[in-house]
Amino acid sequence: MPREFMPGRREPDVPSGAVGYFVREALRRLWISKRTSFVAIAMIAMSLLILGAFLLVSENLERAVAQWQGTSRVTIYFAPDATPQQIAAVDAWLGAHGDLAQRKFVTREQALSRFRSYFTDLSDVVSQLDENPFPPSFECEVSPRLAQSGALAPQLSELRKYDGVDEVQFDWEWIARLRRLVNIINIAGFIAGGILAIAAAFTIANVIRLTMMLYREEIEIMRLVGATERIIRGPFIIEGILQGILGGIVAVVMLFALFTAARGFIVPARSILWGFLFAVFLPWPKIAGLVAGGMVAGWFGSWLSVRERG
Amino acid sequence: MIHFYHVTKKFDRYSTALHDVTFQIEKGEFVFVTGPSGAGKSTLLKLILRQMLPSEGQVIVNGRNLNAMRRNQIPYFRREIGMVFQDFKLIERMTVFENLSFILTVLGIPPKEHKKKAYSALRAVSLHHKMNSYPLQLSGGEQQRVAIARALINDPLVLIADEPTGNLDPDLSNDIVQIFNEANLRGSTILLATHDRDLIRRSGRRVLSLLHGRLTDEKIPTPEPIAARGGESLFVNWS
Repeated sequence: MPREFMPGRREPDVPSGAVGYFVREALRRLWISKRTSFVAIAMIAMSLLILGAFLLVSENLERAVAQWQGTSRVTIYFAPDATPQQIAAVDAWLGAHGDLAQRKFVTREQALSRFRSYFTDLSDVVSQLDENPFPPSFECEVSPRLAQSGALAPQLSELRKYDGVDEVQFDWEWIARLRRLVNIINIAGFIAGGILAIAAAFTIANVIRLTMMLYREEIEIMRLVGATERIIRGPFIIEGILQGILGGIVAVVMLFALFTAARGFIVPARSILWGFLFAVFLPWPKIAGLVAGGMVAGWFGSWLSVRERG
Repeated sequence: MIHFYHVTKKFDRYSTALHDVTFQIEKGEFVFVTGPSGAGKSTLLKLILRQMLPSEGQVIVNGRNLNAMRRNQIPYFRREIGMVFQDFKLIERMTVFENLSFILTVLGIPPKEHKKKAYSALRAVSLHHKMNSYPLQLSGGEQQRVAIARALINDPLVLIADEPTGNLDPDLSNDIVQIFNEANLRGSTILLATHDRDLIRRSGRRVLSLLHGRLTDEKIPTPEPIAARGGESLFVNWS
């Protein structure tokens, strides 16, 4: 028997069985228009790769900053011609100030030996010098809380006035600078990645638009047999989302390949200077974030194109 | 079930497809619309399916005034109507089964029931052995029958067919009209546009005749005696 008309009966926009149909159709359309889909996926992958590279650098810098923060240090460098009396005076001053009393004297020879161990590829250059270029210094450990408080600033200014003192270096100032650098890298990454992701979304929108043109007769038939706009648009939206996810996965795989190559080829040759930049890969939440970013760009692109159909 | 009140459809100043057409089709009726090419048959069917709106007058189908229907209600309205298009409108990249399954998806029928329902609909048009063929692998008549199976799969309240026997030989035409008769017996209101006067004469159904967009005649022909048709008893006068 025919289904009786019931005024006000509201059937679901998207029936439950339609989701499987959306996915099957989207996969099939991806396969049929694989060349145009490839362009969209490549665009998403490139933009996320660039964003991922920025994130990777900032991740490693942040990690280094976090390590250095744990051992905040004030270093007092003496002039090469500083006398033992001048060094003793500074030593006495440090001893009298509790915040900086945890100190260690580093001789010129110890400084040279440290440099050689840290920068192995530059040790030959140092050997060719006539004299040891490194000055003696005091290294004072301070608690991170005190370092962050800013209370040390007057004491450091006082130290800088002592005869024989060439420079007073406070790690925290550099950490603060490094933190600013990390922030700049993050912002630059998000701006560059964001602009590229928007461009990729528009590429996806054009690809979906082309697919819709290809299927316009079919869409018309679907409308005539009672398909709602959501049923018609569903596969196109899923197609965009799948392109975005695939782009995200490709970006992560490429980033990991580049990271592994960098660790294998660059890091051993360039010692610790590069080592901290490639210490760890992105953590899982950031990897998931990249793929989710691709998904959002894909959804946005397909939404843009289906929205125009009205 | 279908009411036309002084319906006029103009495409531009010089082209009027329908002119002041008024008629009423009751629930469960089987009505033919006839007339020569360009008489306005297809326009009339398109108005019923809400593919277009009248320039003047009112179209009421199944209690709904189509002029006042909101766009988002149209798909739900069309699900109550089975339409057999003159050009079949089958999705070429889908198999016969997929063409039918898509309708069932739209209607929210669980996928596990699709095969059974599609088989049953195709069996009614004797095409159950072509479930996995693509439309372009079928003859015109076979495509026509798939389109009919698709229109009937949901037991629609109203079944509209635009020249459903146009591509078929007389024997097959009889079979197709028999399928419509059976749908009519199950309760569907049938509106069938054709210019096959022989088919109309044999059916003994109510006829709406169109000429140059005007409703010129409305009658119930007397069917030929069965004996005059050599004992053929394919069509029964239900009216």
